[in-house]
Amino acid sequence: MESISAAHQTLEKKANLDRTLTDVQALIDQLQRTRDAVAETPELTAMHVAKLKQPVKASFDKIEESLKDVNKGLNQYQKALKEKFKNAQLPTASNEVLGGENGLVNRAIAMHLLREGKFGVARTFVREVNESQEQQYQQDRGLNGNPAANDGWIQEFADTDAMIMEMESEGKLELREDGEVLDGKGHLQKKFTEMYHILEALRSQHNLSPAIAWARENSTELENRGSNLEFELSRLKFVELYTSSEETMSEDSMTGPLRALEYAQAVFPTFSGRYSREMSNLLGSLAYSSGLDESPYKTLFFNQHPWEDVATSFTREFCSMLGLSSTSPLYTAVTAGGIALPILEKVERVMAASRGQWTSVNELPVETPLPPEMLFHSIFVCPVSKEQATDDNPPMMLPCGHVIAEQSLHMHSRGKNRMKCPYCPNESDPKMARRVYI
Amino acid sequence: MAEFSTTKLEPDSHLLLDQPLLRLPNELLRKNLKSAQRQIEMTNKNVTSAIQASTNQSPAETLASLDSTLAKAQNLKRKLEALQIEENALHKQQKSRIQHLQELHEIPSLADVKYDHWSHTRLDRLLVDYLLRQGYTESAKELAREKDIDYLVDVNVFEESGKIEKSLREGKMQDCLTWCVENKQALKKIDSNLESELRLQQFIELARSGEMKQRLEAMVYARKHLAGGQDPKFALQAAGLLAQSPDTHVEPYRTMFSPTRYTEIAQTFLRTHHELFALPSQPLLYIALSAGLSALKTPACHSEYALQPSTLTGAPVCPICSTELNELARNVPYAHHTKSFMEEDPVVLPNGRVFGRERLRVLNEKIGTEKGWVRDPTNQGDGVWEVGAESVKKVFIS
Repeated sequence: MESISAAHQTLEKKANLDRTLTDVQALIDQLQRTRDAVAETPELTAMHVAKLKQPVKASFDKIEESLKDVNKGLNQYQKALKEKFKNAQLPTASNEVLGGENGLVNRAIAMHLLREGKFGVARTFVREVNESQEQQYQQDRGLNGNPAANDGWIQEFADTDAMIMEMESEGKLELREDGEVLDGKGHLQKKFTEMYHILEALRSQHNLSPAIAWARENSTELENRGSNLEFELSRLKFVELYTSSEETMSEDSMTGPLRALEYAQAVFPTFSGRYSREMSNLLGSLAYSSGLDESPYKTLFFNQHPWEDVATSFTREFCSMLGLSSTSPLYTAVTAGGIALPILEKVERVMAASRGQWTSVNELPVETPLPPEMLFHSIFVCPVSKEQATDDNPPMMLPCGHVIAEQSLHMHSRGKNRMKCPYCPNESDPKMARRVYI
Repeated sequence: MAEFSTTKLEPDSHLLLDQPLLRLPNELLRKNLKSAQRQIEMTNKNVTSAIQASTNQSPAETLASLDSTLAKAQNLKRKLEALQIEENALHKQQKSRIQHLQELHEIPSLADVKYDHWSHTRLDRLLVDYLLRQGYTESAKELAREKDIDYLVDVNVFEESGKIEKSLREGKMQDCLTWCVENKQALKKIDSNLESELRLQQFIELARSGEMKQRLEAMVYARKHLAGGQDPKFALQAAGLLAQSPDTHVEPYRTMFSPTRYTEIAQTFLRTHHELFALPSQPLLYIALSAGLSALKTPACHSEYALQPSTLTGAPVCPICSTELNELARNVPYAHHTKSFMEEDPVVLPNGRVFGRERLRVLNEKIGTEKGWVRDPTNQGDGVWEVGAESVKKVFIS
C-alpha cells in the first residue's frame, strides 16, 4: 500500500499538467512578444519571424517533455498496482450461476434496501426495474412475438410507491388493527416499513408504544415461540415510568413509581407464570423508590443500552416471524464472499496451472473458513467417509451413540446383520441404527 | 487458536474485489493524458507550419497569421486547463480510494467493529456497481448519494458507456463511432474489432435499403472503410451481401441482415469498453455473492429436515435459509468442511433431534418445562410431547 501511496503522491505533486500549462503560457508569451514586435516594426518582420522559430520549437519540446513525465508517473503507479495485486485475478468459474438469476438478485437487493430503511432508493429501483422489463417485453414482442414472462417478485413490490407516499404524507405508518389482512401484494415491504417505523420510534424517540402495540397484536405467536419480547418491552416501559419523575419533578416525587405501579397492575397479570420472579422483583423495587441507587434492585434500572438492546431483540423477533434473518443476508453473504474469495481464487489459479478439474459440482473444492458468528448450522462430517451428511446420505446413530453417515453404515455392514461400531467394541444390528437430525 | 485463524484479516488478499477501484482512475488519467498529447501535437503542427509559411509573407499577412497562431495557442491552453481540472478531480478521487483501502490495513481482525463498517461500505459500493451495469442509473445515483460514497463509485464512466450501449441497441451507431475515434490508439493496442464491426453494420444498412443509389453508396463506403487492412474474408462477405436481398435465407447473409446484430455489437462494445478501462466484465456483486453463498451454504439449507427458523432454537436465522437468498443459493455448491461442527456435549432426543445439552436446558427453561421433563423446543402446535429427562441420551459425534 505504501508504494501505491508514494506513486500517487508523485502524481499529485509532480507528474501532472501543471508544468505543461506553465510551458504553454511561456509559448503564448513568446508569440505575443513577436506579434507586438511585428506590429511595432513591420520592416523587421522577417527577422522577428526567423527569431521565433527556434524558441517555438524549444517550447514544444519542453511541453512534450513534461508530458513524458506525467506518463512516467502513471506507469510507476501502474507498476505499484501490479505489484500489489500480482496474485489477484478475479475468479470466473462460479459466477455464471448468478448471471441467469437476475430477477432473484434484484429481488434480494430490493429487500435489502427496504431492510436498511432506504425506501426512496428502493422505490426508484423498483420503478427502474419495472421500466426496463416493460422495454424488454416490448422488444421481445417486436422480435419474435414471444415475450419472456415478467419476474414475479416485482408484483410483490408493486404498491411500494403508493404505500411510501401514504407514509410520507402522514408522517408515520399507522399500525392497522387488521394487521393480518396485509398479505398478497406488497406484503413484504409493508412489513418492512412497519418494522422500520417501530425501530425509528424506539431508537430515536425512545417511544415504546408502537413496539408494544405490535407485540400485543402478535402476543400468541410470540408466546408460542418462547419469545420474551413482549415482557422485555413492558419491563422497559415500567422502568421508564418509574424513573421519569426524577427528571420532571412535578408535584411530588411519587408520581413516577405510582404510575409504574398502576401500569404494572394493568399489564403484568396478562403475562404467563414464567416471568413471576422478575415481576415480583420489579414490584419489590417500588419499596425503594427514594433510594434506588443503593437498593438491591439497582441492576434492574441501570442497563446501559436498554433501547439498543430492545431494538435488537425486536428486529430479531420481527424478522424471524417473517422467516428472515435479522442482519441483512445480502450483507452477510457479500462479507463471507470477501473472506472466501482469496481462497477460491488461489484454488482456481492452482487448478488452471495444473490443468486439474474440479469435479464435485455440489461442493466447494476447499475449506473456506469463516468467523464463528457466520456459522449458522451444525455440520456433520462422517468420521468414516469424511463426507458431509445430506438428505440423501443422512447421519445414523448406532445403539452405542456413535454417529456415521448412512452410506458408511452400509459399506461397513456389507449386508450382514451384525456389525462392530467403527469407534468402540460394541456390536449391533445395522437395522438398529437410527436417523438423527443435526 | 482456531478462533484466531478464522478471524484473521489479510488485507493484501482481502482486496481482491477492490483493485478496479484503483485501476480505473489510472486508466482515466491515461486517457486524459492522451487527449492532452493529441491537442498539443495538433497545435504544434499548426503553429510550426504557420511560422514556416510566414517567412515569405508581407508584414500584414504575418501579423494576421501570428494572431491566429496566438489564438490557437490560447485555445490549447484552455483545453489543457479543462483537462487539468479533470486530472485534479481524478487525483482527489484516487487519493480517497487509497485512503479507503488503507483503512482496511489498519483493522486488526475480522471481528473488529471497524471491519463491519468497512464491509458495509464495500457492499454499498458493489451494489452501486451492479445497479450501474444493469442500467438502473437513478437508483445507483441515489444510493451513492445517500450512503455518501460518490468517491468510490464510477457513475460517469458507466453512464457514458450505458448511453452508447443503449443507442447501439436502438440501431444508432454514431455515438459509438465517436467513442472509437476518441480511443483509437488504445483500441488498436488491444486489437479490437469493434470499429470494423460498426463499419460493416453501416454498410449493411446501406445495402439493406435495396435502392440502386444506396447500393452504389454502399460500395463506395466499403472501399473506403472495409477494404483496408483486416481479414480479406470480411470484405468479401460484405461484397457478397450486395448481391442478396434483405429477406434472404442464405447464410451468412441472413444473420448479417438480422436486427440481433445490434445486440451483439452492443455487447462487443461493453466488453471492449470494460477491457479498456480495466473493469471486470461481470458485476463484482456476482463474484462476491457467489463466493459468499457457497461459503455459507450447508446441506441443511435446502433440506426438508432442517430446523425451522424460530427463536425457540435460539439460533439466528441463517442468511441462506432466509427468503432473500434461499432460491438464489439453490444452485451454488455448498461449503466444504472436513470437521463436524457441533455444540458442546450433544444429546439426542427420542425423536432423533440432536441438541447441545446446555442449550436444550436453557431452551426448556425458557419454554417453562417442568423440572425432570424435557421437550423438543422445535416441536410446536398439536404434537407437543414431553419426556422424562432420562430419555435424553448422549450422542458421540466426532
